[in-house]
Amino acid sequence: MKEQLIAHERTARKPESRAIGRRARGNAQFAWTGMDLLNGDIVPSLTVVLTTKGCSWARHDGCTMCGYSIDSNPNTQAADIQKQFNQVIERYGKAFKIVKLFTSGSFLDQDEVPIDVRDAILSELRDMPKVIVESRPEFVTPEICEDIAGINEHIEVAIGLETSSDRIRNNCINKGFSFRDFVRASEAARAHGFTVKAYLLLKPPFLTEREALEEALQSVHDAALHADTISLNLCNVQKGTLVEALWKKGLYRPPWLWSAVEVLKRTQETAKVICDPVGGGSRRGPHNCGKCDREVVAEIKEFSRSQNSASFTASCTDQMLWEFVLEFEEFGYGAPLVP
Amino acid sequence: MTRLFEVTKRDGAARLGKLRWRDEELATPCSLETKEELEFLKEATIHRAEIDVAIVAAQEETNAEQIDADIVTLAGAARFRDDPRGLTKALLRARELANPDSALYVPALATPENVSLLIYAGVDLVDSVMAEVKAREGYFLDADGERRFDAVSRRPCLCGACNGANMTELSFEHGAAFASDHNKKALKAELNKITENVERGTLRELVEGRCRSAPTLTALLRLLDDEYDYFERRSPIVRTGTLLACSQESLNRPEIRRFSERVIERLRRRDGVLLLLPCSARKPYSRSRSHRIILAHLDKLRQHLNEAIITSPIGVVPRSLEIMYPASNYDIPVTGKWTCDEREWVIGRLSQYLSINAFESVIAHVSGPYRQICDEVAASLGIEIVHTVSDENVLSFASLQRLRTVAQELIDGCSPARRDLRFDYMRDLADFQFGSHASAAIFPDVPKVRGLFPAYYASDRGKRIATITGTYGTLALTIEGARRYLSASDGTYSVRIDDFEPKGTVFAIGVLSADPGIRPFDEVIVYNDSVIAVGRALMSGWEMQASKNGGAVAVRHVESR
Repeated sequence: MKEQLIAHERTARKPESRAIGRRARGNAQFAWTGMDLLNGDIVPSLTVVLTTKGCSWARHDGCTMCGYSIDSNPNTQAADIQKQFNQVIERYGKAFKIVKLFTSGSFLDQDEVPIDVRDAILSELRDMPKVIVESRPEFVTPEICEDIAGINEHIEVAIGLETSSDRIRNNCINKGFSFRDFVRASEAARAHGFTVKAYLLLKPPFLTEREALEEALQSVHDAALHADTISLNLCNVQKGTLVEALWKKGLYRPPWLWSAVEVLKRTQETAKVICDPVGGGSRRGPHNCGKCDREVVAEIKEFSRSQNSASFTASCTDQMLWEFVLEFEEFGYGAPLVP
Repeated sequence: MTRLFEVTKRDGAARLGKLRWRDEELATPCSLETKEELEFLKEATIHRAEIDVAIVAAQEETNAEQIDADIVTLAGAARFRDDPRGLTKALLRARELANPDSALYVPALATPENVSLLIYAGVDLVDSVMAEVKAREGYFLDADGERRFDAVSRRPCLCGACNGANMTELSFEHGAAFASDHNKKALKAELNKITENVERGTLRELVEGRCRSAPTLTALLRLLDDEYDYFERRSPIVRTGTLLACSQESLNRPEIRRFSERVIERLRRRDGVLLLLPCSARKPYSRSRSHRIILAHLDKLRQHLNEAIITSPIGVVPRSLEIMYPASNYDIPVTGKWTCDEREWVIGRLSQYLSINAFESVIAHVSGPYRQICDEVAASLGIEIVHTVSDENVLSFASLQRLRTVAQELIDGCSPARRDLRFDYMRDLADFQFGSHASAAIFPDVPKVRGLFPAYYASDRGKRIATITGTYGTLALTIEGARRYLSASDGTYSVRIDDFEPKGTVFAIGVLSADPGIRPFDEVIVYNDSVIAVGRALMSGWEMQASKNGGAVAVRHVESR
């Protein structure tokens, strides 16, 4: 039944008209600073989002929940990327312990970030204790790792695994790679001394709250062997995505914050799991009843820093409702029971 | 394949049925309450084994085929909680895709407040999931809607759950547990009430009342009313109960529109003189005091007159159809003031009636708002309507005298033929029920009509042809009448059955073909190569063709052909 629904939704609502390429090329970068965990210490970090020509997979097919291609521009040249990076460094300096390089695609995709620019940026950051780059696994090859390891030794490769289940990754997320692809990429990265971060997605579309919770728990267990850090991403409703189309039809609800808390609590022994509830408490983001959201979001953030489940003290009347939803949502046959 | 569900009673799109369900028989409509039941159904949906459950997604864009399963589940129905437009579309689409003898299951949507509308639209199975969700959201539900349970200070319910509970003092956890229990009971109680109303044929009246609790529900009923064909195809031709037109939505009932459409489309064209009269509280009109006085005053002049009654909400009722539902039994709030919608509807019907017939002259023996309506119609059509009420009193001596004088004058002016008023009833009913020209087939010559109003019967050369039944006010044919109709018709109101001699009830499984235009309670002719029979339809003709379960026709007389 679910397969039918998925097949139907995929053919009926493929987001062919994604908003691509509205971002200017030369000086349009995001950057922000923050505090992150590095080897047990809370340290200052710099996050850089570079505008590129966009994710190769998004241009080809795309994932059901990802609307980041809105932040790309197909006409981006190598020089544009370099210029963006230079401007960020000019403005923020290099007094950080962590720099995160995001592109809304794959930093290691040579088609997206040409080799010269890639190497120049990594070289510029060679003394940074940790440089995190995001990439799809097909670009995390032994050859590419070999190349960049010679330039920068402090690289962490962050890969959007989303789930350890190939069935869910294919049918619900349309990610276009397998768990084995991820494992291979992780092995290549680790063989060159890099650390690996795996992103997991809590509640891809077409799953009930319980299915989402259970498969996230399983995914943490499966990914823990192949990742140094696991980042639990709570699915939010991004513009121009299949998830948004489903959400607008009342066929998708972002995860409950309680489900995230449950995953974090129950995987504490298994892996280092961090979580930044983007959009937490909003209708498009992970949310509870509205009364307790702010408090639970804060506790999740606190846990991500402390890794101490004593952070979780909040309680609310809606926990009864959440428990009921876990037990009964499957009987809505595709529609969430609570908005 | 449908094997386990059977519809036993219909009221419009709503049905009562029997579902064989895990060694027991479940009377529908009903609500699944336990997780075990829900899981059983879900398992069946996946495996389609023990009981055949198919699923239909509420997408408008798929071109799905007819689904033949014991139960058809409308997946994801809960998304239409606040979307009456989407819900209307999805419900009707699911019902039309499902075989008529599949039970339609709408998961996780029913509350005591909305369930009567769901059943009215054709749903057979619901569950208590939403009632439980609402309890955990802090709501106490009943048929009037939802309230925070901590604000319910005066006990509105004395069910087992509510009895003894002081809701305002409970902790949220206890309150939710109590509300969950109460909400489920309230849903069950409402379903009992619905079942009773379907049995009596009065679900529409219940629904018109229920939909007042929320604008989305009123919208839902109005949107459903826009789906005239869907409901007309399921509406019985007669009801024994009284149609209570207590709301604005009553005007939109399918049987009211069907009645006025048939008056225009099926009755033979009239000429001569038309007399318009106001309606009366007592039905049929000619039994009322006012009509008896007026008619007695006209006496023999009536044989040269056409009479029609102006009324809300039906519009125009030719005298001969006063014994036919819904003209025969309806009731409206009488205040002397008409709403704009009522006026507009009646003006439309009267204009149409006057346009399509070829009356030489029209007399209106009416007063007050009826008079305004007649004047408006006369002005818009550019015709003259002669008023005979002088002092706003239709029964005053002056008015009655004037009516008589005017009628005599106008009749003399065009000298229309004298008619047998009792035969008028019979042939107009024939045309109304079986289609225009049916009366010419059934009564090629003027028959002898005898009997006491309204139970007239017609005979031709000593052979009984047709009778007006006292219970329903419809025309019942004898075998002779059926032979006459069948030989002249092209299969309308006829049911062709397999090679057997029908006794009592003909079941849907034995029907080879049926006129899709047949409606429940229609008089129908049943035949095969060797026998001919007459009876009363128990379901619509299209449903007889598509169904495998249930009685199709209650047969009255059989003869060999």
